Amino acid sequence: MFGFSWFSTPFHALPKALRRSLHRCLVLFLIGVVALTTAPPAAWARSTTPGSSVQPYLDRVAKAVTEFTLANGMKFIVLERHQAPVVSFMLYANVGAVNEEEGKTGVAHYLEHLAFKGTERIGTRDFAAEQQVLAEMDDVFAQVLAAEAAGNTAQAEALRSRLETLRQQAAEYVEQNKYGQIVEQAGGVGLNATTGADATRYFYSLPSNKVELWMSLESERFLEPVFREFYEEKDVILEERRMRVDNSPIGKLMEVFLEKAFEQHPYRRPIIGYEADLYTATRDDIQAFFDAYYGPNNLIGVVVGDVNPREIRAMVEAYFGRFEARSLPAEVTIAEPRQTAPREFTLALPSQPWYLEGYHRPSITDPDHVVYGMIEGILVNGRTSRLYKDLVEDRQVALDVGSINGFPGDKYPNMLLLYGLPAPNVEPDAIGTLMQDHLGRLSREPVSQEELDRVKTQARAGLLRRLDSNSGMAALLAEYEAKTGSWRNVFAELAAIDAVTAEDVQRVARATFQPNNRTVGKLVPAES
Amino acid sequence: MHWLTSFSLVRRRPLLPWLIGVLTLISVVAWGWQPPAAAVTARHYTDLTFPELREIQIPDYERYELDNGLVVYLMENHELPLVGGSATFRTGERLVDGDKTGLGNLMGDALRLGGTEALSADALNLALEQRAASVETGIDEAVGSASFSALSEDLETVFGLFSDVVRRPAFAPDRIEFLKTQYRGSIARRNDNPDDIASREFYKLIYGDNSPYARTIEYQTLDAISRDDLVAFYRTSVRPDQMILGIVGDFDPAQMKALIADAFGDWEAPAAPPLTQVPDARQARTGVFLVDQPQLTQSYVQIGHLGGQLSEPDYVPLAVLNEVLNGFGGRLFNEVRSRQGLAYVVYAYWAARYDYPGIFMGGGQTRSETTVPFIQSVKREIAAVRDRPITDDELARAKDAVLNSFVFNFQNPSQILSRLIRYEYYGYPSDFVFQFQRGVEATTVSQIQAAAARQLNPDDLVILVVGNKAAIQPPLETLAPNMTVTAIDISIPEADA
Repeated sequence: MFGFSWFSTPFHALPKALRRSLHRCLVLFLIGVVALTTAPPAAWARSTTPGSSVQPYLDRVAKAVTEFTLANGMKFIVLERHQAPVVSFMLYANVGAVNEEEGKTGVAHYLEHLAFKGTERIGTRDFAAEQQVLAEMDDVFAQVLAAEAAGNTAQAEALRSRLETLRQQAAEYVEQNKYGQIVEQAGGVGLNATTGADATRYFYSLPSNKVELWMSLESERFLEPVFREFYEEKDVILEERRMRVDNSPIGKLMEVFLEKAFEQHPYRRPIIGYEADLYTATRDDIQAFFDAYYGPNNLIGVVVGDVNPREIRAMVEAYFGRFEARSLPAEVTIAEPRQTAPREFTLALPSQPWYLEGYHRPSITDPDHVVYGMIEGILVNGRTSRLYKDLVEDRQVALDVGSINGFPGDKYPNMLLLYGLPAPNVEPDAIGTLMQDHLGRLSREPVSQEELDRVKTQARAGLLRRLDSNSGMAALLAEYEAKTGSWRNVFAELAAIDAVTAEDVQRVARATFQPNNRTVGKLVPAES
Repeated sequence: MHWLTSFSLVRRRPLLPWLIGVLTLISVVAWGWQPPAAAVTARHYTDLTFPELREIQIPDYERYELDNGLVVYLMENHELPLVGGSATFRTGERLVDGDKTGLGNLMGDALRLGGTEALSADALNLALEQRAASVETGIDEAVGSASFSALSEDLETVFGLFSDVVRRPAFAPDRIEFLKTQYRGSIARRNDNPDDIASREFYKLIYGDNSPYARTIEYQTLDAISRDDLVAFYRTSVRPDQMILGIVGDFDPAQMKALIADAFGDWEAPAAPPLTQVPDARQARTGVFLVDQPQLTQSYVQIGHLGGQLSEPDYVPLAVLNEVLNGFGGRLFNEVRSRQGLAYVVYAYWAARYDYPGIFMGGGQTRSETTVPFIQSVKREIAAVRDRPITDDELARAKDAVLNSFVFNFQNPSQILSRLIRYEYYGYPSDFVFQFQRGVEATTVSQIQAAAARQLNPDDLVILVVGNKAAIQPPLETLAPNMTVTAIDISIPEADA
């Protein structure tokens, strides 16, 4: 709903003001694509490497996880953690912008906003009466679109005015933001949701005596949702698009980048949607999308915190067992054709320059997935990483460098994106030349044992540090369950990372960092 | 969109959610046989009753002082094999000479990035990153800090590196030059994002261009800073008698104390007096201001005036008022966003500071043509809470929201310890969070209105718009009769030749 998500860039020397601004630029654009940069943390097996004392702790956490599936197909994962009397919840819908039809972009995110508008019993003073006005509004809006399409401005104007009258009438029935208000009044914190290319996540935390409140509210939310205040929210989302894209040079750059990097796959479209699609989106579109993708077998519930798994299961059966089973929605089958020539574009906008380059890579389920995470670590994570050390510290041609591994999602084949902010008076191309030198070197020479060990240790410690956060663990378990088929892969991936060799890195680098697999995007200052 | 929770340090731009991670209180796992869970029937939320929440547990901690004045807090926590620590120093960017604005920030960064007497910057980076450990330093407006994080098996090594950074920094000249290049790049990019422009210029209007709470680093001020300046500022800032060290995590207390004594026990405070004078803050301007950005289709609006401190009596009622105005079901969100669809982001909150007056700040973004209606809506909501009492229902909701979520102030030891240290640093009582809780419980509708009437003053408002002047129709002049709109030039001053 607010769409911010945690996004970690490498810990570099960048002045705070700039660091903050850069974070924000990227975060704003990537409405809630969670877990972008850091390689998904990994598990560990060996006892001779540094940090080997970590393994028993990871094992203990894995043992504290229970899972079950309801008869209607809805999966639940519960992680007990009794440190404080609090609980974090996540409802993970295995649907994102990637599932949208052509011409209906932005529907997944629109639905996510409307999922805060209440139910047949929450957020209304008189649902029966309200429902009639809502239906009437939808009819009038359909006529507005028809009149506009026919170029009949006067009629469209009159219908708009009729729609506005109805809107005011409908507003009389609405108890605004009641859903969120109930959560906040009960002591809930962090209430929000994010929509990404692959998934939509709804989450918040409560004091642990109120677990049943989440059960009741969250099940009702998707059992009998009412997409009220649809037309007001359209304006809000159009504002959100203006903020993230139209008035953000980096937002525009990213939008165009995806359009160039992908020709066929829906990853090419902006998560927030195109303005024209948002303008014409109807409540029926939202309902149809909901019906297709929010069946219980396409949802995962995760509960992390001070709970008793047996009690959770009993409550889940009673509350979420009410969902009727539906057939699984179709997977996206559009395959991106193999890129056969380098791609490049330049945008001139009122901003200091940026440089991006991306390479196609396989999805999260590919055996080489972890190798890409290691390549990213070797290139840009930390002050000892190759690109940072050379471009930022030694040559000082870039103010910062960074990456997004799994852009814009990673359920399907995607991009490994590298970016650099040119230092004053440096051309973006100078960054590109140096980046490509480094990628070439990675393809020609095996990486040192020291570098491999560093990245492996950091991956393991990264997972360990993530265990501190109930909400962070809820997100991680849900994501791995949805994308890899089991939450256990959060831990199992450690062994895979441990097994990566210098030859693996070189093999994957050689296959990936080819000119024909590259898309370059440059932002250069527009003369104003 | 963000609204501040009552306890979070107020940030200038509260934009990114932060994951504070760490550890635990006491485990209360029930062992052995458990009765089967009682049968559950699905119920509407209004039919639910909840058990009492188990009591908040504050983990044990120890506070002691070394002979040289260094204050130590230790809080054990063995859930994960990690140790984290932070040193807080009484200093701040606000204490440097205006001609050398940036000296504090630069020293804070160079402290870590310039290497130590024993290890070059590169060697230090390598030593830490091979262990997945970190040492970071920084000087903010009102405080200096150095922190570390390590796997517990590496504690001794990493703590040694940490103390070297604090006590024996090298301030390598080439690293200082590197940082200056970074800062120059940051200056060159400061007008790339309308939100950054709005925030920066708003602070300048409220506190004044040259106020330590608003001034910006310029090419000239950077050029005026020498390595000698950094070293001198380091010597007056980073010293044992002005340092609070807090350690949380998986350590053995006897060993930890020995490590601390070893690393810091023989450190003598310099004879020079410490930096303690807190600069005062006064409001500089009022009125309507515009930064014209013809490429924009939206206006970035900031509305507000000088505010107050957390220690003042009006803080508690105004913190409750923050809840009434913001959040789901808050007046601004309901009215300006959900009902009028004018904005994706809209807020207004009393952002108090610990030791100088903060800001009452409102604003958000809206499309160019709705700029004036947006400003009027926000102003109307501000006036309403002054002129009329909030409803009993609103009061109950706001209080419930604060009190029911109170437990989230005690999620993990590092959160609890950093709060204790913050209170000590600013001279607040260690139970301030509980005093606040009691204050909220006792707050009444009339107290809130009285506080709002005293503290929110429409005549003092600064209204700043960063937007496309030509597209702002009706224009800002229509906000009030005889309104003058002052244009602000944000072009970046060139360096002296």
